[in-house]
Amino acid sequence: MTGFNIKTTVAAALLAGTALAGGAQAQEVNFWYHFDNADNPMSALVEKFEAENPGITVNAENVPWNSYYDQLYTSIVAGTGPDAALVKLNAQPRLIEMEALEPLDAWLKDWDGTAEIQDNLLTLTASADGTHYYLPVQYVVLYLYYRTDMFAELGLTPPTTCDEFRDAAKALTRDTDGDGQPDVYGFGFRGGKGGHDHWASLTLSREGVGFGPGELTSEAGVAGTQFVVDLFQKDKVFPPSAPNDGFKEIIGAFQGGTTAMTIHHIGSSADMVAALGDKVSAVPVPECGGGRWTSFGDESTAVFSAAQDKDAAWKWISFLSSPGNNAEFNKATGQLPVTKTDSASWDGHEKRFVEATVNSLPFANFLPNTSETADFANTVWPVAMQRALIGEITAQEMNAEIEVLYND
Amino acid sequence: MTVTTAPPVPLARRVLPLVMLSPAVLVTLAIVFLPMVQALWMSLHDYVLFRPKNFDWVGLKNFISAWNDPVFWTSLRHTVIWIAITVPAQMLLGLATALLLNQNFPWRGLARALVIIPWALPSVVIALMWVWIYDSNYGVLNDLLLRANLIKTSIPWLADPDTALYAIILTLTWQGFPFFAVMILAGLQSIPKSYYEAASIDGASQFRQFWHITLPGLSGVLMTATLLRVIWVANSIDVIFVMTGGGPGYATYTLPLYAFIKARTGLDYGYGSALAVSFTLLLLGFVILYLRRAGRNIA
Repeated sequence: MTGFNIKTTVAAALLAGTALAGGAQAQEVNFWYHFDNADNPMSALVEKFEAENPGITVNAENVPWNSYYDQLYTSIVAGTGPDAALVKLNAQPRLIEMEALEPLDAWLKDWDGTAEIQDNLLTLTASADGTHYYLPVQYVVLYLYYRTDMFAELGLTPPTTCDEFRDAAKALTRDTDGDGQPDVYGFGFRGGKGGHDHWASLTLSREGVGFGPGELTSEAGVAGTQFVVDLFQKDKVFPPSAPNDGFKEIIGAFQGGTTAMTIHHIGSSADMVAALGDKVSAVPVPECGGGRWTSFGDESTAVFSAAQDKDAAWKWISFLSSPGNNAEFNKATGQLPVTKTDSASWDGHEKRFVEATVNSLPFANFLPNTSETADFANTVWPVAMQRALIGEITAQEMNAEIEVLYND
Repeated sequence: MTVTTAPPVPLARRVLPLVMLSPAVLVTLAIVFLPMVQALWMSLHDYVLFRPKNFDWVGLKNFISAWNDPVFWTSLRHTVIWIAITVPAQMLLGLATALLLNQNFPWRGLARALVIIPWALPSVVIALMWVWIYDSNYGVLNDLLLRANLIKTSIPWLADPDTALYAIILTLTWQGFPFFAVMILAGLQSIPKSYYEAASIDGASQFRQFWHITLPGLSGVLMTATLLRVIWVANSIDVIFVMTGGGPGYATYTLPLYAFIKARTGLDYGYGSALAVSFTLLLLGFVILYLRRAGRNIA
C-alpha cells in the first residue's frame, strides 16, 4: 500500500510539475485581424505587449478580408479558431449562436480602461441581452467624398438632399476628352460585396423604412431602391462596371478621376489626400426621403470561449484598447480611436474628414443585430442588387427578397 | 499414379502485398473516400455551420429544394455552356499549337517551353491579370478595341451579364490550352514518320495526311485528354470566383461555384453538399467513361 502511495504521489507531483511548466509556457494568444495596408503596426504592438507581459506570446495573423468571416466561422467549428480576433458587430449574433464568445463583463468591471472607452461605444456593442462580448477598438462613420475641383468647375455645391445628389451626379457625368463618351461619372457605386452601405444611405433614410415587416416593400422602401437603380439605368451616372465593383474599384476610380463622388469613411482619407491633395473633401451623406442614414463602421475585439488561455487573451485585447496603444493601432488602420485620451489628442487625419465624420454621428446606424444580417451582407444583398442593376429583377422584387430574409 | 498438388503459398507471402499496399489505401480512404462519404451524409441533413448542434436528418429534402431552386437550374445551364465551349476551344487551340510546334523551326525548344506558361501560372494570378485586361476604365482590351474603332464605348466585360460568362470562358481557354498542346505534341511524336513518307509517295495531300494519319494517330490522346479536361473544367471554380464571384447577379454561377458559395459563405453545408453531390452524379458519366478507358489502357 505504501509503495502504491509513493508511486501515486510521485506521479501526481510529476504531473503537477508538467502542468505548471506547461501552464507557464502555454500563455499563448493566437490573434486574427485584417489590415489592408502593408505598413502594419501589429508587430510593434506585439513586441511592446510581450515586453510588458513576460510569459505571454502573441501570434498575430493578418487574414485576408475577403474570406475573413468564412475562415473564422469554419475554423471555430473545426476547433482550430483563434483565441481572440478582430470582429464586427454584424457577426455578433451568429457568434453568440455558435456559443463561440466569452463574456467580458467580469474583466471589464475590474479594468481601469473601461472608463476610458468613449461614451456609448460599450452600450452600442453590447449583445441584445446586455452582456458584453465585444471590446471596441476602432470606429468610423461613412460619409460622402467629393471632388472639390470638379464641383467648383461646374459651380456645384456638395449635395444635401437626394434630389441635389442626383442633379449633381448628372452634371458631373461628362465627356472631358471629346471622344463622345463619358469618361467621368457622377458617383462610384459599390455593387459588389460591402456595397449595402451605399444602398442603405439612399434607401433606409426614407421615412418608415427599415428592416421591420413590410417596411422595405412599402412604397417608400421600393422608391429608395428604385432611386439607386434609376441612377444606373436611366441617368447612367455610375461607371458601367458598377454592378461588380468592390472597395478596390470604387476607391481606385475616385482616386483616378473616373468618378466625382463616392461613399466611404475616414479610413481611406490618407490615400485620397495622397492621390488628390486638396481636390478631395467630404460631407455627410445626403438626406433622402425625409431622413438621413449612414453606416457606423465598428470594429471590436473578442475573446473566444475555446481560447486556450482566456486571461492572456483578455490582457492582449485590453492592451489594444488602452490609451496610446489604441492610437498606434488606429494610425495604421486609418480609423478613429475609441479611448477618450487618444480621441482628445488625435491628429491622425485631416480636419475636414474628422468634421464630416463627427457631423455624421447623429444619424449613424447599425444594421439589425440579428443572425440574418450576415447573410444579408454576404449573399442576399450583393446578388439582389446586381440583378436589379442589370435589370433581371425589379426594385420591388429586390426589396421583397430582403424582406423574406428578415421577416419570414 | 500420384496426385500432385501445388505447394500451398505461405501465409506471409499472401499477406505481404496487402500489407505493403495498405498505407496507400488507408491514405486514399482517409483523404478521398471519407470526405466523399461525409459530403453525402451531410447532404441528407439540415446542417448550418453556425448552428453546429442542430444536425437533423432530413432525407432528400435538400435535393428536392435544389430541384425547385431556380438558381440550381441557372447554374446548371451555365455549367453546360462553360464545359461545352471551354473544352473544345482548348482542344482546337491546343491541336493547332501542337501541330505548329511539331514543325522544324529555329528556337523550337524555347517555343515549346514558353507555351506552357499559362498552364504553369497559378489560377488566381491568371484571374487577376484578366480582370485588369477586361477592366472597363483601364483595361487593355477595351483600349485596343476603341483604338481600332471596333467599339464606340468601353464594354464592362465582367459587369455585363451578357458577356461575363464568355469573358471568363476565354480566360480559362487561354489557361488550359497548353495542356492539350503538350499532350497532343507527345501524341504526334509517337506517330511513325514512315506513315507520312508512304502517304506522300502515294500522292496524299497534306490535308489527307492529317485526316487519315494524324487524327487517327491522335484519337487515343484526344479522347483521354478531353475526358480529363471535362472533369477538371467542370469542377474549376477558382478563376470564376476571383474574377466575378459568380456575379453580376447569378450571371457566372456554375454548379460547383454555387455549392461552394452556399457552403462556405452561406455556411449552409447541408444544402451545399446536396448541390455538390447532385453535380457529382451528373459528372459520373464522364468519370465512368474515363475510368473504363484508363482501365483498358492498363489491361
